[in-house]
Amino acid sequence: MQLSDKNVISDMRTAYGKTLVDLGLKDPNIICVGADTTDSLKTKMFGDKFPNRLYNVGIAEANLVSIAAGLAIAGKVVFASTYAAFLPGRCLDQIRNAICYPFLDVKLVVSHAGLTVGPDGASHQQIEDISIMRSLPNMRVLVPSDSVSVRNLIPLLSNTPGPFFMRLARPSNSNIYDDNFGQFDIGKGNVIRDGSDITLISCGLMVSKAIDAALTLEKEYAVSCRVVDMYSIKPIDVELVYHAAVDTGAIVTIEEHSTIGGLGSAVCEVTAENHPVPVNRMGVGDTFGESARETEIESLLSKYGLSSDHIIESVLKTRKRMKK
Amino acid sequence: MALKMRYLELNRKIRDVRMLAIQGIAEAGSGHPGASFSAAEIMGVLYFHKMKHNPSNPLWEERDYFVNSKAHSAPGFYAALATAGYIDTKEIKTLRKLGSRLQGHPVRYSERQKDHSFPGIEYSGGSEGIGLSVSIGIALAKKRDGQKNRVYTLIGDGESNEGQIWEAAMAASKFKLDNLVAILDRNKIQQDGFTEEIMPLDPVRDKWAAFNWNVVEVNGHKIEQIIDALSRVERVEDKPSIIIANTTKGKGIKHMANNPQWHGKAPPKKHVPILLEELQSEILIAPSIIAGEPENYEEKVRRAERAGADLIHLDIMDGKFVPTTSFFADTIKHLRKISSIPFDAHLMIEKPINHVEDYIDAGCDIITVHVEACSEAEFVEINKMILKAGISPGIAINPGTQFPSWIIEHLDNIDIMIIMSVNPGFAGQKFIPDTLDKMAEIVKTLKSNNYKGFIEADGGIDATTLQQVFDAGARIMVAGNAVYGSPDINSNIIQLRHKANVAIETKLLELATINDMRSDWIKSRKNMLIPLAKELSIEEDLHAIK
Repeated sequence: MQLSDKNVISDMRTAYGKTLVDLGLKDPNIICVGADTTDSLKTKMFGDKFPNRLYNVGIAEANLVSIAAGLAIAGKVVFASTYAAFLPGRCLDQIRNAICYPFLDVKLVVSHAGLTVGPDGASHQQIEDISIMRSLPNMRVLVPSDSVSVRNLIPLLSNTPGPFFMRLARPSNSNIYDDNFGQFDIGKGNVIRDGSDITLISCGLMVSKAIDAALTLEKEYAVSCRVVDMYSIKPIDVELVYHAAVDTGAIVTIEEHSTIGGLGSAVCEVTAENHPVPVNRMGVGDTFGESARETEIESLLSKYGLSSDHIIESVLKTRKRMKK
Repeated sequence: MALKMRYLELNRKIRDVRMLAIQGIAEAGSGHPGASFSAAEIMGVLYFHKMKHNPSNPLWEERDYFVNSKAHSAPGFYAALATAGYIDTKEIKTLRKLGSRLQGHPVRYSERQKDHSFPGIEYSGGSEGIGLSVSIGIALAKKRDGQKNRVYTLIGDGESNEGQIWEAAMAASKFKLDNLVAILDRNKIQQDGFTEEIMPLDPVRDKWAAFNWNVVEVNGHKIEQIIDALSRVERVEDKPSIIIANTTKGKGIKHMANNPQWHGKAPPKKHVPILLEELQSEILIAPSIIAGEPENYEEKVRRAERAGADLIHLDIMDGKFVPTTSFFADTIKHLRKISSIPFDAHLMIEKPINHVEDYIDAGCDIITVHVEACSEAEFVEINKMILKAGISPGIAINPGTQFPSWIIEHLDNIDIMIIMSVNPGFAGQKFIPDTLDKMAEIVKTLKSNNYKGFIEADGGIDATTLQQVFDAGARIMVAGNAVYGSPDINSNIIQLRHKANVAIETKLLELATINDMRSDWIKSRKNMLIPLAKELSIEEDLHAIK
């Protein structure tokens, strides 16, 4: 595993915009649609490069995804983007009937997912999207953890027929992967760090929290954690989850999302049916979030149970549940 | 404006669509007859006349797209696709059944959905309000790639309650989509009742105009008006167009028409034979403008159209084939400018082969020549010219002429047969009763030879003779003096319609009686029949129902 050894700070949205431009140069069939958030989503970079290949439909999410569907019917590969708060929730019906049912080449890439959107508060903190999108037939759900993942996954989305939902986070973060790393595939996860006592399966910004917790657990508690970046939540890497259960006997999942229906649920579905082991699902409980300034984001995550300390606590508890 | 439409064939195919749809719905035991029927002319005109498409190559790159956003009109839509040749008409019987390609709401065809769809269905509908936005996507892609494909989208008025319709309305004009045409099936009924009570849509014309669309309003059951509107909107640049088609929900079956109860209900299966008979019994009224005062044809056309005439019958007389002279192609050319109503030209002239092109050029929609005026070879030549022009060909036969057997060979290419009930040449003649037997006999011969076209009764047709010629098989009634013989043209046409209704209801009642469901039929059609009770002699039946 080539992990980033330098502290490279980057943001997923810029990686998204740049990758789109690169793809756009190679493939004239790629079209973007935005909903008054093209600057924020960085699809504006694509629009600046290819002025008549980005359509801005204004604040109209139902129209956004349905127009995307029409473009796909006409043979285009379409990236439709806006904030996570509005895209799956506001236009679920359109995603279901106009995109998933006919299996169209529409790639929904949203940003500002989870609590870390910060000061805008719970109305903008999308914590149900993975759950909602995962339940739609034909939909695939991806949650990258850094800009390298985004750069590698976007071309895969573009080249793989059918609908995708990808959620990005608003804040910049340290890259997990080395710049040259390229091992990504739909339906796969990456083992970031091997371990034998328990497996931490996480996605998005929570991957780095899992890594931090694993380091502390090893040093201070002599617990060897396997850390998995499960960027593909649907389809999920069944084999990887199965081996985690068999090899380490316990799993903790961490996601910046409701504990209902997201990554944790997906992992439990695999273990329950293949190799039941204790699993603890960490995420936002059955509750809404709240505002926090940029400087308070870590405290916000902590308040809702998503800090490295919470992971450590969860690991120790979960290990106690393991059969001796 | 000459529309170049094969009007009678379109009319017949649209009738076939309604017949197929109602059979499918009855077989399924559910479905939406109301919307299937209100949109039948719209879908018929698109698939049988307007759109560039190819049933044997549904993915043809140059095709026009039809997005059926009000997808509960599925039975009518499938029936239109079947009639156009996308699927076997027999497949309608699988509608809504387990394992059918004809799902309750149409599914876009793809490899994944090949068991639930068939090539030719572009859009998965069912959830209202989405299709217009999807159409925008298609139109945007085609426009930016410089392709000529046009996108036609059928939307409903109930569906227009959805906010997304208006998101789409804004976007289509922003993107200047002049390759997009929305057609609003304005039948004024939605599931819970009348649209203006559930959620008022008027002033709908102003709404779309305010969103910067080009707006055209038509009678959505008049084939010629739809065709005319579709060609007019083609010439508009930098703006999307909407055709507001004023329609009647359930049009074609009288007790379903304009009745919210029939939004999503299937008729009982045993009614189907009578319903099919009703659909085949539609009577077209064709006022003949040479009747009455001999001048001002323009006014006569206008007044007949306003009064709801279906066709204008034009008697072309050359003073040689018949003793009188009426008018010629130049007059028709002039009249063509004032109306899109189909012109039914009846050439009572010598050597029609030498003149047919003039009448094609003048903008006639139906051209009929006399069997007495041409040889078979000439007829074949004339027929070719007419079909090549894309309009309806016909043949006429005089009372004293024996039906020539050579006609049988050409029935596929004949849309109308005029069986004269007077000797042509003068207006205002008396109906010759003997011609009824002749008509019935000819109709029998034609039926046994699978003739699909129309029979037109011409000569002395009025309120007293209409039912007789209807019973003999005529479905187009040329009415001269009966329309223009007295000043109140509107009342005259209403009276003919009334007689037509009596004729139709009598026939349907007979059929119901034979099939042992007289009281059941009267019950389901009570409100239609009460005003006709006396003429139909059903007062006792109605009393028994109460």
